[in-house]
Amino acid sequence: MDYSRPELADRIAADYVAGTLRGAARRRVEQLLPAHPVLREAVKRWEAGLMPLTASVAPQKPSPAVWQRIVSRIGGAPVVVADTPWWSNLSLLRTLSFLSVVAVVGLSALLSNPPPAQPPLIVVLNSTTPTDTLPAGTNVPPAIIASISGDRKAVVTRTLADVSVKADRTLELWAIPGSGSPRSLGLIAASGASVVKQSKLPPGTAALAVSLEPAGGSTTGVPTGPVLYVGKLAL
Amino acid sequence: MPTTTADWPEKSRDLSLLLSRAGLGDRAAFATLYERTSPHLYAVVLRINRDRGQAEDVLQEVYVNVWRAARTFDAAQSQPLTWLTSIARNRAIDSLRRAATQPQVSASHTPDEEDSDVYDNIADPASGPLEMLSQASDARALSHCMEGLSAQQRQCVALAFYDGLTHAEVASHLGQPLGTVKSWVRRALAALKGCLDQASVRDERDVEAVR
Repeated sequence: MDYSRPELADRIAADYVAGTLRGAARRRVEQLLPAHPVLREAVKRWEAGLMPLTASVAPQKPSPAVWQRIVSRIGGAPVVVADTPWWSNLSLLRTLSFLSVVAVVGLSALLSNPPPAQPPLIVVLNSTTPTDTLPAGTNVPPAIIASISGDRKAVVTRTLADVSVKADRTLELWAIPGSGSPRSLGLIAASGASVVKQSKLPPGTAALAVSLEPAGGSTTGVPTGPVLYVGKLAL
Repeated sequence: MPTTTADWPEKSRDLSLLLSRAGLGDRAAFATLYERTSPHLYAVVLRINRDRGQAEDVLQEVYVNVWRAARTFDAAQSQPLTWLTSIARNRAIDSLRRAATQPQVSASHTPDEEDSDVYDNIADPASGPLEMLSQASDARALSHCMEGLSAQQRQCVALAFYDGLTHAEVASHLGQPLGTVKSWVRRALAALKGCLDQASVRDERDVEAVR
C-alpha cells in the first residue's frame, strides 16, 4: 500500500485514532508512523479533532498507589501530590528541607569541603514584549524555559514553541545581575533546546533574559535589540 | 475538576508549561501535571478497559512514558491534553489486546454485560457513549455534521471511540451485520471530518487570541 496517498493515509488515520483499527493492522500503523510523514500528519489531524470529544467523559480519580508506583519507576525522590491538605505537605516539606539543610551544613562544617552541590534551577522566562512592537517576521511564543545545572556551569534553554526570527537575527541569552550591566551567556536556538556552557554563571545573577540581536550576537557586549524574555532566578 | 470541551485549548496552555518543565526533569511540575490530568486520562482508559486494576496499570505506563517523552513534546505541533489523551487511548486499546491473549486473567472486556460497579460513582446517569458523543458534539458545535446520520450510525462510532469496541463487538452489541457496522463507522467518521478541521482551526484561533 502507498501510505503517502493522502486519501488512503486519511482513512487509515481515522480508523487508527477512532480505535477501530486493531490487531496486526494497528501495530503496522504504529511501526509505519515514524517514517511516513503524510500518515503522521493525518494521525495528528484526527487526534486534534477527536481527542477533545473525550472531554465529556466524567473524570475518575485513580487510587493514590498509582502515583506511588509511577514515582518508584521514574526514580528520584518522590514528590508528594497534594492529596492531603496542601499546608500539611508544605510544612512537612519545610521540616524536611530544614533538616536536610542542617545536615548539609553540619556535614560541610565537619569536612570543611567545598560548598555543597546545589540542585539544578529551573527558570521560566516570560515574554515581555507586545507582539505588535516587534520587527516584522518575528513571532514569540509565551515562554522559554531554562534549566541551570547544579554546578552552575551550563544553562539549557528550551522554547515552548518555535520563536520565528528573520534569517539575519538571532536570540542571545543574558545573565542580569542585581545591579550592573548584563553579561552575555551566548546565543540560543529559536527552536528546541540549546545548551550554553559557561565557566560559571556570573555570581549575583538575579535574572536571565533573551534579546533579539543581529546574526552573530550583540557586538557591544550589552543587549542591542528588544528584550523578548525575562525570568527571575528564585533562589 | 472536570474538563469541559470548551476549555480544552485553554487548559492545554497551562499544561504546556508543566510538560516542558517535566521535560527538563522538574519532578514537581510532573506531579502537578499528574494531579491535573490523571482523573481525565484514567476515566478515558477505564471506559476502554473496565478492569480497574488493569486500567491503573495502563495509567502507570502512560505517565512513565510521558515522563520519558516529555522532552519530545512539541507545543507547536499538538495540544498537551490531546497528546496525553492519545497516548492513554493507545495504551488502553493495546491493553485489551493483551487481556484477550490472557483469558485466564478473567477480568476481560465484556461490553454485552450490564455495566455494574464501574460507573457507580459517576454522578451523571446519562453517561452512555451516545450521550457522551452528543454532549461533546454540542459543545464543539459539531452537531450539524451528525445530523445526516441515524442514531444507530452515531452509536456505532460512539461505542468504538469511547468504549474501544471493535467493529465485530459493535456489530454483536447492536445485532447488525459486520459489513453494515463497518460502513456506518466509516460514514460517521467521514461526516465528522469536515467539522473537525473547522473545530481545530477554532482552537488555534482561541490560543492565538489569548497570546
